[in-house]
Amino acid sequence: MPLKLLIQLGWRNLFRHKRRNLMLLLAIWVAVAGVIVMNSLIRGFQYDMQESAVANLTGHVKILAPGYLDDPNIEKSFELAEDWQPDLPGVTLEGWAPRIRIPAVIMSERETRGIQLVGIDPSRETISFLDSVKMLGESLEDAADRRVIIGKELARQLETDIGRRLVIITQGMDGRNREAGFRIAGTFDADGTGLEKLFVFTGVNALQNMVDAAVITEVSIKVSQQLEEALAQQQLTEAFSELEVLSWQQLEPQAAAMFVYADSAIFIWFLVMMGALIFGLMNTLITAVMERVKEFGMLRAVGMRPRSVVAQVVLESTLIMFVGVIGGVLIGWLLVLWLSDGGIDLSQYAEGVELAGMRSVLMPRLWLQDVVLVSVLSLVFGVLAALYPARRAVQINPLEALRR
Amino acid sequence: MNTTDNEVVVRCRSVSRTYQEESVPVKALQSVDFEVREGEFVSLAGPSGSGKSTLLNIIGGLDRPDEGVVEVSGVTLNELSESALSDLRLEKMGFVFQSYNLIPVLSARENVEFIMQLQGVGAAERAQRAAEVLAELGIDDMADRRPGELSGGQQQRVAVARAIVTRPALLLADEPSANLDSATTRELLEMLRRLNETHGVTIVAATHDPLVMGYARRQVNLRDGRIIEDTRNEAA
Amino acid sequence: MVELADKLVRPAAARETGRRGAVAAIAWRNLWRNRRRTWLSAGGIAFAVWMLVLSLSMQDGSFEIMIDNGSRLLLGHIQIQHPEYFDDSRLEFTVEEASPLAAAITASRGVVSVAPRLQSFALVSSGERSFGAQILGVDPVLEADWSTLPGMIGEGRYLEAPGEVVLGSILARNIGVAPGDEIVLLGTAREGGVAAVVAELVGTFDSGQTELDRSIVQIPIADFRSGWEMADDEVHALLVIAESVAMSETVARDLGSGEGWRALSWRALMPEAEQTIEMKAIGAYVFFALIAMIVTFSVVNTFMMTIFERTREFGMLMAIGMKPAAILVQLQLEAFWLSVLGVTVGLLMALAFIAPLEAFGMPLPADAGDLLSRYNMPDRMYPAFSYTAAWLAAGIMLIGTQLASLIPGMRIFRLRPVAALRAD
Repeated sequence: MPLKLLIQLGWRNLFRHKRRNLMLLLAIWVAVAGVIVMNSLIRGFQYDMQESAVANLTGHVKILAPGYLDDPNIEKSFELAEDWQPDLPGVTLEGWAPRIRIPAVIMSERETRGIQLVGIDPSRETISFLDSVKMLGESLEDAADRRVIIGKELARQLETDIGRRLVIITQGMDGRNREAGFRIAGTFDADGTGLEKLFVFTGVNALQNMVDAAVITEVSIKVSQQLEEALAQQQLTEAFSELEVLSWQQLEPQAAAMFVYADSAIFIWFLVMMGALIFGLMNTLITAVMERVKEFGMLRAVGMRPRSVVAQVVLESTLIMFVGVIGGVLIGWLLVLWLSDGGIDLSQYAEGVELAGMRSVLMPRLWLQDVVLVSVLSLVFGVLAALYPARRAVQINPLEALRR
Repeated sequence: MNTTDNEVVVRCRSVSRTYQEESVPVKALQSVDFEVREGEFVSLAGPSGSGKSTLLNIIGGLDRPDEGVVEVSGVTLNELSESALSDLRLEKMGFVFQSYNLIPVLSARENVEFIMQLQGVGAAERAQRAAEVLAELGIDDMADRRPGELSGGQQQRVAVARAIVTRPALLLADEPSANLDSATTRELLEMLRRLNETHGVTIVAATHDPLVMGYARRQVNLRDGRIIEDTRNEAA
Repeated sequence: MVELADKLVRPAAARETGRRGAVAAIAWRNLWRNRRRTWLSAGGIAFAVWMLVLSLSMQDGSFEIMIDNGSRLLLGHIQIQHPEYFDDSRLEFTVEEASPLAAAITASRGVVSVAPRLQSFALVSSGERSFGAQILGVDPVLEADWSTLPGMIGEGRYLEAPGEVVLGSILARNIGVAPGDEIVLLGTAREGGVAAVVAELVGTFDSGQTELDRSIVQIPIADFRSGWEMADDEVHALLVIAESVAMSETVARDLGSGEGWRALSWRALMPEAEQTIEMKAIGAYVFFALIAMIVTFSVVNTFMMTIFERTREFGMLMAIGMKPAAILVQLQLEAFWLSVLGVTVGLLMALAFIAPLEAFGMPLPADAGDLLSRYNMPDRMYPAFSYTAAWLAAGIMLIGTQLASLIPGMRIFRLRPVAALRAD
């Protein structure tokens, strides 16, 4: 039976019962829009997680000396040629940064704290959170800058301020402690997170002088396209065979696990929403078949093939899902737009949010591929839901149907 | 019209049919022999339970006999698969039921075209033939109305239009006048007679309506699953 | 006269209750005229109820344990601190006259034990290497009683005598020491001078949490006191262990605050725990809200179909004298029975899932989807059937179903008996 005719019949049959089909449509819109919005929030969460991990000095890929992860010590370091440039064909690099990162103790006149002392090349730190962080005072000028910048929270805890001096004790290359004074050039504001409390930055060359070794403990690499990560890691592993080259997923396994968990969360949402929908959808489809028993009987008597009867029922279900999907996607999209204006403020959950590695504002992200996937799967679901009602329709015996 | 020398369109030999009604077997037809020639207008008459509807359904390929042979237009129905029977009904038969003849969401014209769409007839030809048939039966001015907007009699006329537009070998009617008043019934029957006499459409109608029996040229009376009388009505 | 009046009144009253019972029974039977439809509708309701009860029960079960585990590791259920200490952990923000206070608290309702603590940051040195760490001065006997940390000693043993120190295994590895070695602790004393403590490492612990194992050192509180020049009987915190996590809230509230101190419950000490719980709960509620909406719309849809199909029947009822309002009441009763059916099935399904898990536990999924896995999760999780969720879900679906049938039910008031009787 020609498709056009089937579709025409399907539409008209749907319009026959406008009000009750509208009710079903409402349910489908809620389901689809709900999935779309949750999808966008979870993707936003995933994105944030990744961004945080990456910006949080981790980068996409890191080159480390073997053993550094277990024992972050200046001895677990390596040398990098002055003029070294990453050679990564097929990868668009956003940037790379060499660093020394070692544990140290920082002392002000009043307080003592444990910190991560990080020697950086400021010009290269476009790839980390330092690029866009709010600063009070001055930033470091170059790799030789002997001053430090610390988090404003740390400054508060140490009861010190810009311009004052701090003493930093750390272990030198020979295993003996080194102690040196540093002036605070400026403080940075990282929303009161652990970054603020833990990290103290100085010029990498200055730090190299302090520990008596021209080495670095890590090179952090950021690529432009997330998909090129693996390629970059592979190429760097070949280039630095005696060192460890790790991706952010390996460096922050908990974040990586959360990332993956988000994908399954989306899937579960979809299944549950469709699960809730199936009861109403099936009810409507079965009723639509049952109230037309005589009509279906007549059609079969007149010569319509059973196949066409099945097609009619399946198509009606698909049509209603189609309108439902379009409406649901539209509503979902509008909701996402509305939420994107400012995002969802999570500041009252600050500590929990930090624990999860999120930012304090959750911004939804809607990807086209997700929308397409949801739409297609919903339509497939519509077809599946119609199978049982279609079977019932085909079982209608024209003879019995026509019998008074 | 003398049809005695015409081709045999329907041939039933020793047809029997028993079915279960609430686990009680009912002998609907008992070894019935029956023939219809081209151009005949036959009524299958009898009270309810006489088997007339069963016989009509078997001729129409809607039901299978338990015993006996059924041939329509030379094709033996017994051996055909369900799918083939379905095609046969589409190509060779026209059906008019007591009610629920039409698809409620299609207009009269679309209902008539629908059957041709099932057959795969092209759009231009469909439109033309539908227009012809609707005009022929005097319902072209309501061609764009849906069944819900038509009276009982008008609906039946559209049903007839739909039944004959495919130029079937046989027009089968099951209690076509049951829901109509006598005036409307007469109109319908006039139309059927005209189709039969002018266009040679072979008609078999199952009915207990005396009006219908009166219009048919040949009346076959059934009772308890058997043909008890087969008379020609020359006066009709 | 009175007897006659009696005869007229009482039978009528009996008829009334009889009729009500009959209507309720008719309503129930009407549900079953279309079994498939009823089961599908009830199924939707059951699904919604099942989802909410299941998700909240899963969360409930794990949180209580997580918080307890977290508390028993290091922070205790409640801490008594100087009012400003939490925000600014200065050495001089102490609670004075700790002993009488501790005694009073121990005697309080719901308190199991109270342990003192002094803490500060210092450099931990092995001679070869140094690391910054958090030094905790504890009472070894009390600590071994309430805390799970002493039970996590890997090498060596826990503190017993003065002059001893234990630290995390990762820290031990980082500074290259093993039980038997000498450790030097260097910090800033109370009045500003150098705080120095030399101790013998007697054991290292393995809590499974890298942050603890990397940065926590414990010494006897007396050693801390002398090393950091703290006054007698002053502490940074009194750790209070309550009978249960749930009890701890009450205890904290009862203790409140006093002169120079305040009580902080785990909610303040581990805000991320509470927040994570809240965020998850919000997630579950949003989840349920959407499902409830979908199911309710579906039920409206179902009732629309049912009412449409029974138009002729309603016409007949009205023709024989039943008032439209009475028909509506019957419909509402049908809706009520439907929701009772759905809710019951949903709760039973939830129970069927949860009861065995509650008894035998559920192996914790390997994913780090649970953020509180930091808090030393056991390997099995024991969900607790959430009565809150059950009441909430049942209530909402009951009300929702009533509304769902009411909306299309209003149509009854527009029916005219004669036209209805002629309906298909």
